[in-house]
Amino acid sequence: MRRLWPRHVRSRMTLWYVLVLGVLLLVYAGVASSYLFYSLREQLDHNLLEDVERVEGLIENTPDGMVALKSVHHGEDELNTQRFVEVWSPNGILLYRSPTLRGRTLGGPPPPNPEGTAEPSPSTVRLADGTRVRMAASIPSVDGRRVFLRVAHSEQGLWQEMEEIVSVLLLVLPPALVLAGLSGFALARKALAPIDVMARKAERISAERLNERLPIENPEDELGHLAQAFNATLARLEAAFDQLRRFTADASHELRTPLTAIRSVGEVALQTPKSATEYRDVIGSMLEETDRLTRLVDSLLTLSRADAGHIHVQRTDISLLGLAQEASSLVEVLAEEKRQRISVEGDPTLIVSGDRLILRQALINLIDNAIKYSQGGAEIFVRVAAGKDTQLIVEVVDQGPGVSQEHQSRIFDRFYRVDSARSREWGGAGLGLAIARWAVEVHGGQIRLQSVEGQGSTFRIALPSTTTPEKNGYKEAST
Amino acid sequence: MRILVVEDEAKVARALQEGLEREEYTVVVARTGEEGFYVVSAEEFDLVILDLMLPGRDGLQVLSTLRKRGLMTPVLILTARDAIEDRVQGLDKGADDYLVKPFAFPELLARIRALLRRGRTQQVARLQLADLEMDLLVRRVRRGGKDVELTPREFELLEYLLRHKEQVVSREMLAREVWRETSRATPLDNVIDVHMARLRRKIDERFDCKLIHTIRGVGYVLQEEQ
Repeated sequence: MRRLWPRHVRSRMTLWYVLVLGVLLLVYAGVASSYLFYSLREQLDHNLLEDVERVEGLIENTPDGMVALKSVHHGEDELNTQRFVEVWSPNGILLYRSPTLRGRTLGGPPPPNPEGTAEPSPSTVRLADGTRVRMAASIPSVDGRRVFLRVAHSEQGLWQEMEEIVSVLLLVLPPALVLAGLSGFALARKALAPIDVMARKAERISAERLNERLPIENPEDELGHLAQAFNATLARLEAAFDQLRRFTADASHELRTPLTAIRSVGEVALQTPKSATEYRDVIGSMLEETDRLTRLVDSLLTLSRADAGHIHVQRTDISLLGLAQEASSLVEVLAEEKRQRISVEGDPTLIVSGDRLILRQALINLIDNAIKYSQGGAEIFVRVAAGKDTQLIVEVVDQGPGVSQEHQSRIFDRFYRVDSARSREWGGAGLGLAIARWAVEVHGGQIRLQSVEGQGSTFRIALPSTTTPEKNGYKEAST
Repeated sequence: MRILVVEDEAKVARALQEGLEREEYTVVVARTGEEGFYVVSAEEFDLVILDLMLPGRDGLQVLSTLRKRGLMTPVLILTARDAIEDRVQGLDKGADDYLVKPFAFPELLARIRALLRRGRTQQVARLQLADLEMDLLVRRVRRGGKDVELTPREFELLEYLLRHKEQVVSREMLAREVWRETSRATPLDNVIDVHMARLRRKIDERFDCKLIHTIRGVGYVLQEEQ
């Protein structure tokens, strides 16, 4: 059955079209012919009733106690062949039967108690040989003698006419359907042809040629919408590919730095013989670089897992202020070394539903940054507050050098560094803020930087206070 | 103590063998899964160090066949894959511990000692090295007979060093054991260095015999000067 169903949309459309049209035509033919049938029969009934009256006037008694029909002028002979008459006496004696009946009866003796002279209503009766007739009855009185009269007209003409009409309708139906199917198929093919063209064009757009787009002939119609949607998808894909390419290039570049250090330290050490202590020093320095490599690879893995949606967000209710205090106390010693002060303040009742470790990571990265970039003796503020629209706000405010406008938009990008030489000295790979952004966004929040060069920076995290389904399709394990 | 190392990477295998032999373990190296499986069935070992990605038969297969045969030798898995699912899979198949590559050698030694010691942990109330004493019950630290004031974190740090005295500990071990940081992505190295510097000031500054030593590029060790 499955195999019989057409593969192409255009064939399926045509098939449906023909099916629907066929059903509609059949219904139409049915309705039309039954209307015709009823009106023809009404005509027949009308004639019949008139004829009943006429026959009533023609009945006359015969001397032998029977009745006969007066024959009028011969013009009625034609009608007579189609007319059947039966006259019964009230007590069930057949008084007259027209020759056209050829011995068949129109219904036997009359019922014992025929109702008065009520308007006789015609009904269809089937004679002994199967001939269908339309029959009406009346009880006229012939010279003071009441008789029971039945007059019937053959329905043969009616049925003949019906047959002709129905056969005409049915004969017309198949060619009409074939014609409709053919033109429907042609139309469908014409309508779908642009999709074929689009599909062929789309097939040619590969990963290497993502910059190509489908032509849009009419942006208003359905095909235009389709092409636009396709182009938008292509644009997103292209952006994703670009980002991936840039990421890979940046990552390789970052990996190269410690590798270069390891290599040159080793090569230089081998140039001249050295004492054991000197060799230890060389190896130690190489191991330090290895450490840096390890950390970099760990961060890259974290980000790539986040990209792939492989990090499970385990939501619990967390006191935001408590989390900020925890994050700050973890890195507080670094500030103390620089005689900096970290003040964590805010509303202790604010609760956020989120993954403790991931959110804390974001805060640690921000506070760590603030410590790194602030002068000795500076003060760093971590503020927790309720924002508008049920948002929760965490701000990390430093009195560092600030970030100029040109860097602000890209500062959350991976590997982006405002001053690469200086940051590298501090061992950063430019991933801290990227990880912070991911951590916030996976909770459905936003992170922004407000900064004026020379006047410090404020990193502002806005988190939804209620659990929201997060975007980007990150998996979530509820706790 | 006999240790079987199943590791296909020649350099890593040789480094492991050398490092472990220096610690007085007897080391047998197998270079493929089949070989490892054959050796472990034929001889007896106190511990197996198993690389997961092996040519021929992979580490997990070796491990599960091993466990099915009823060999209860402790198994320490080495692997470059550190997704949680990978760890769970390894532990499910009967591994006793799990170390992610690249690992710090001191950490491997610590894990090996822990596995071999398993079930024989003794409760101690006092830890000591030279003239440094730590009383775990009253949480008091004395050096040369004088009390040393430590913050709770410094106390925990020193306790860990004392428990692993004369063993090199890496920053990663400290982050995990003292700071209880499970995520490797949390950068605690600077924090650990600062705490260590402070601890050193309190413990060593006034004494000629230094106890805390930095092993550059590796970590720290608590010991009397060599």
